[in-house]
Amino acid sequence: MHERSPVSMRPEPMPASAGIGLRAQHHLDVLSGAPRTGWFEAHSENYFADGGAHVEALMRIRARYPLSLHGVGLSLGSTDPWDRLHLEKLRRAIGRFEPGLVSEHLSWSSVGGRFANDLLPLPYTEEALRHSSARIAEVQDYLGRQILIENVSSYLQFNSSSLTEWEFLAGVAAESGCGILLDINNIFVAAHNHGYECHDYLQGIPRGAVQELHLAGHSRAEFEGALLLIDTHGSPVCEAVWELYRAALRRFGEVPTLIEWDTDIPPIHVLEAEADKANALRASLHAVAA
Amino acid sequence: MPSLRSLQTDVMSALLSGELRDAAALIALGGAAGTASPARRLEVYRNNVRANFIDSLHSSFPAVWRLVGEDYFRQVAREYHRDNPSRSGDLLHVGRGFPAYLAKLHRADQYRYLADVARLEWLCEESLLAAEHAALDMERLRGVAPSAYGALRFEVHPALRLFESPFPALRIWEANVASDAEPEPIDLGAGADCLAITRVRLKLAFHRLSRGEFSFLDSLRGGDDFSEAIERAGACDEFDAGAALRRFVAAQIIVDFSVPANPSGT
Repeated sequence: MHERSPVSMRPEPMPASAGIGLRAQHHLDVLSGAPRTGWFEAHSENYFADGGAHVEALMRIRARYPLSLHGVGLSLGSTDPWDRLHLEKLRRAIGRFEPGLVSEHLSWSSVGGRFANDLLPLPYTEEALRHSSARIAEVQDYLGRQILIENVSSYLQFNSSSLTEWEFLAGVAAESGCGILLDINNIFVAAHNHGYECHDYLQGIPRGAVQELHLAGHSRAEFEGALLLIDTHGSPVCEAVWELYRAALRRFGEVPTLIEWDTDIPPIHVLEAEADKANALRASLHAVAA
Repeated sequence: MPSLRSLQTDVMSALLSGELRDAAALIALGGAAGTASPARRLEVYRNNVRANFIDSLHSSFPAVWRLVGEDYFRQVAREYHRDNPSRSGDLLHVGRGFPAYLAKLHRADQYRYLADVARLEWLCEESLLAAEHAALDMERLRGVAPSAYGALRFEVHPALRLFESPFPALRIWEANVASDAEPEPIDLGAGADCLAITRVRLKLAFHRLSRGEFSFLDSLRGGDDFSEAIERAGACDEFDAGAALRRFVAAQIIVDFSVPANPSGT
């Protein structure tokens, strides 16, 4: 079942056109139709099983589309020893599916052997920067390839932070040699929740480091009369995030963009329409620049 | 300034226990959403952590959820989470101890069957995620000399799981996952389950077993050779080894065999 076809499965550079986040609900639609998307991105852990329907579906999807694997559970910034089994399964998934891109989050989710299974922000300190960079370098050595690191949405900042998030992200990329997956919605959410300027963030990220962009919807939540933006991935990309995406395209150029939608998952044509919108925006900016 | 290790330890304890006050001292005030307090900000994570955990249990145990109702499921899931936080970056694993937790909780009441339904659901999930294996080629088996049969070691499909319960757990499970219609009442005394669960072409398949067949498969999967497995099965009931072998090969439960290098020595 898992033998590879060397012709269709060769790792290939990701197209600059927009991709769609793959959810199990859409496996059948993808396999029975031919959705309009340049590529798919799948959560690595959802395909860690030894076998079964999901693994089988992704093998077949991979034979038709370029693929990116995006991890949510590695706990990169944790001070615990590595979960070796998790790393092994990630390496196996990369061997099986031969993704064009592999990414993880700049966050932590475990300590003392206990897991929150959520993307927790790091304190932006020199200690955390050195630690995270070393961990990313270890993962890259183990996997034998570069990985991309994504900025997370966050609802809190630690008062021990001495660096801005963009200084921290840029610093980690410079020290570890990883690429950056810049999530535009996460910048927007964090900037609101912590009171900084999205454009300062974009300017703080080096041009050549960004290899992928993420777009998603968020929601708003009232707490004690204060408004926090929550990264739910359950709605269309909002106008302000599209605007920030334009600015990101101007700064970072032709970079593969992903539409993410992980809760209240709509029919796949809704995601195709969001991807079309990203492509149209990219084309119009490109035309102006040319 | 706290070390990264101590900060992570304090935040994790807060998120898992819900005692947010101490960790709140680590959180910066401010932002445009200025009045959201550090404790409120931590609470967003606390809620996410719990919701992710409970959602994962729900997806592993849909029949239990339906049987007990959402409110009770959430209550038990919160207690289970408190006592058994996730130990893996992959949430799929958090349900492993849930059947045993339910068994302890309902050791002596009328919900004793719940833990068995949960155990069945967990075995189904394991079966669905197990490795693939091709069916056994009967031609290969016919090539073995009958005198060597006893020492053969048969291999079962990686997706095989064995299940037994004093309750009709499979019927209860089927009635609660197959449709949204209100299930017909099921008599808990309607018969015990003794089952092989496996997966054929990505779908679950259930086979009712006699006590002897159950012992036979349990013996094979434990590594016993054919003669040892027949002996264990024969101790339970009238056991027809040839019929059992044909049945389990056809059902893709027995999928491979090896001939030991030195059959007389085993």
